[in-house]
Amino acid sequence: MRARVHGDRGWGIARVVFLALLTLFTLLPMVWMLLTSMKTQFAASQYPPEWWPRNVTFEQYFILLSPANETGREFLRYMFNSLWVSFATTVLSVMVAVPAAYAFSRFRFPGRNLLFYSVLLRNMFPAVVFLMPLFILMRWLHLVNTELSLILTYLTFGLPLSIWLLKGFYDNIPAQLEQAARIDGATRFQAFIQIVMPLSSPGIIATAIYSFILAWNEYVYALTFLNDKSKLTLPVGLQRFFTEYTTNWPGLMAASFITSVPVVVLFLVLQKYFVRALTEGAVKA
Amino acid sequence: MSVSTAAREPNVFARIVRHRADYLYIAPALGVMLLVIGYPIYDTIYLSFFNTPPSLAMADKIFVGTDNYVRILTSEAFLDVTINTLIWTAFSTFFAFALGLGAALALDRQFVGRGLLRGILLIPYVISAVAAAYIWRWLYHSDFGVIGALAVASGITDRPINFLDNVDTSLPSLIVVNVWKEFSFAMIMMLAGLQTVPEQLHRAAQVDGAGVFQRFWHITMPHLKGVTLVTVLLLLVANLNSFTIPWIMTAGGPAGSSDIWITAIYQLAFERIRFGVASAYSVILFVVMMSMGYFYVRALTGKDEATPG
Repeated sequence: MRARVHGDRGWGIARVVFLALLTLFTLLPMVWMLLTSMKTQFAASQYPPEWWPRNVTFEQYFILLSPANETGREFLRYMFNSLWVSFATTVLSVMVAVPAAYAFSRFRFPGRNLLFYSVLLRNMFPAVVFLMPLFILMRWLHLVNTELSLILTYLTFGLPLSIWLLKGFYDNIPAQLEQAARIDGATRFQAFIQIVMPLSSPGIIATAIYSFILAWNEYVYALTFLNDKSKLTLPVGLQRFFTEYTTNWPGLMAASFITSVPVVVLFLVLQKYFVRALTEGAVKA
Repeated sequence: MSVSTAAREPNVFARIVRHRADYLYIAPALGVMLLVIGYPIYDTIYLSFFNTPPSLAMADKIFVGTDNYVRILTSEAFLDVTINTLIWTAFSTFFAFALGLGAALALDRQFVGRGLLRGILLIPYVISAVAAAYIWRWLYHSDFGVIGALAVASGITDRPINFLDNVDTSLPSLIVVNVWKEFSFAMIMMLAGLQTVPEQLHRAAQVDGAGVFQRFWHITMPHLKGVTLVTVLLLLVANLNSFTIPWIMTAGGPAGSSDIWITAIYQLAFERIRFGVASAYSVILFVVMMSMGYFYVRALTGKDEATPG
């Protein structure tokens, strides 16, 4: 018995060491991003590097977030575009996924399984494979260079997972609850809004945050569909910023940091919902 | 439109008509999926048999049969790019999964700060790949990069390493970034899988004298089969399709040393404006992906006994 307990303790130490190393691997690149963003351009271009910034400056943040100069105006514009595209995608995703998931859960129409699995298969399809035909399609629809082209496309990224996740919730809500409401005189729609929606709100939050993060971070489609400078979203704006100010690493790190903050905050606050969105399908199935 | 229909109508059309209102619920989802997925699949396959003009005036395209496929499969670059793709996909998936599983096992226990730690480890996964790519470009910078400087300071090399501009190190350097970005996805998947392992089984095995490793192998692993399959498939697909990190960090270079299928397709399509050839390339990738999709749906729908019960 003692030997085994001892063995377990050995594993315990290995566990702590492993987690510590993994945390360092995860955090150090981001710490270096932050430290660099608070240096002057001169201080960042030193060899060997300044391990700790000697003169901490928030100059880059002021430039990026101030509407008083050209760079700041552009950056704020990108940020606003990203917010708008992500927000619209999120709202539409929920509006489209909720009825679809409800139908897949409650109704037994012909072709239900086939349709459901073809929706799921979307997860298998890569962005770049669809890029060319969608580009041609968007050109034909005169949507190139509009935010709508991105919103439509992003909608389909989040939908399969959202439908899957919400269907799981609806499966777990007893149909008798709705039937009771309907006996009391509620229409099917009222029963849905008043009973099913509140019970599935964790699923809706999970769906929403997942869609938002996907849209906020998307790069390939934004790169291809948009070329008007005033329409760009943050990831493409970041790249543009880099090609314009190649050596301004503190500025680029500050911009990367600002780009990451909204999704990281959203994620940390709603972590359990996001984790649920990602894992639900794989484990419950 | 009843909540559940046990009765079977003899005729499928009669059933469709009877359930017609049900389809209204899924119509918006199906409509947008058809437009953004169905049509592109069709168009990619169609275009892959044509030579398209650089002006993208599609009326002027010329039917060339399977020429595009022959050209790709027989080109010398295709073999190199395929080898890179295999290395990139296999190593990224292996290391992301191994680190993720390790982290999940280490976190599968109550302790103070567990939620916070899980959150921290997930940050690379939620930030934009563009930001991640620039952070690592800066870490790898040939003159002022902190990794090169650390290597010198600790005496591993005598001068900074040029990670990204070197044909030997470019692909491995990208794989490190990719693993950094996605290992925590595997972590939360496996962590969720671990919740399905009954605690009593571990207790019982411990009483019977099974060690940590024996318990892991005989109790934990069999319960994780299904979730492992799904996680590995999703990682494989994500890695076969990752564009942002390789594109921003090296764009396939130097000298094609980090070129993978996706970056090659993008270059063909949007730099050389050869949509026909690029479409044929996409179809090849697509076939590989579809075969994985088959196993993915099988794993998810539990038609495989490997799925956890």
